[in-house]
Amino acid sequence: MATIRGESGSVQFETGSGSLAAVVGTRSWSLTTTKETLDTSVHGNTFRQFVGSMISGSGTVELVYDPDATGQAAFIEDVIKAGDTADASFELFTTGSSAGSDSVAFGGIITDMEISSTVGELVVASCSFITSGTITSNLE
Amino acid sequence: MAAADLNSIRATIEGRLATELASSPAIPVVFHNMPYEPTPNSSFVQCLTTFGANEYLSQGLTTNSRNRIVGVVVFNIFSAAGVGPGANYVIGKRIRDLYNRVNVSGVFFDAPTGPEALASPAPEGYFQTQVRVTFESIEEL
Repeated sequence: MATIRGESGSVQFETGSGSLAAVVGTRSWSLTTTKETLDTSVHGNTFRQFVGSMISGSGTVELVYDPDATGQAAFIEDVIKAGDTADASFELFTTGSSAGSDSVAFGGIITDMEISSTVGELVVASCSFITSGTITSNLE
Repeated sequence: MAAADLNSIRATIEGRLATELASSPAIPVVFHNMPYEPTPNSSFVQCLTTFGANEYLSQGLTTNSRNRIVGVVVFNIFSAAGVGPGANYVIGKRIRDLYNRVNVSGVFFDAPTGPEALASPAPEGYFQTQVRVTFESIEEL
């Protein structure tokens, strides 16, 4: 068993017309996966019971903005892509960058991008996304 | 992308000062670990560049990652004792203007502190003020 430090993480992304590649300059990422539930309680039950239903996810990626950093422009500008068919692919790594290892992979849409510039601080961009389709977890 | 060359950063900082103080009126400048015998009742500047606590800036371990390298440059400005601070502050302004919020070769300088008069000059026999400028550089691996 080994704990993992956040700085060992990374993000790979492609907009739908290429292959996954590192987004340089990511500072953090988060992913929340949610499973909806269906109430299957029937007459006679005294305890409510459920079955699992639709699974979805959402999260954020924060970047230290650098217009020349590989992958950043495509990532932060994906939000203004019109008629987005959810063909973008993400792979979020807790450590390393080997496909299918220590990561979560999914298709998705960037739904929000916020970039901020403050005196005395680095310019930071934050993107929110939702998943679309299968979420493949390789966190084991 | 490569690990930062600290001597390159140091050269950027010190070279800028050496060029400025070589212009008229020229002021002798001495850097870390250099011998210097000051001339009595004259002015000179000591420039001390020190690197500090660096920090992670992005994810990615040894590739596709960035660190923030920070440091401070201390300028000790010496001038003749007993004749007021004017001549000393003239040098202080030259140094302050040289680094004030500029970005030189990827080295970002913050707003300078000083010149602050020091009560106990070292070496003795001079009027000493100090200008300090913090700086940072982004290391891209």
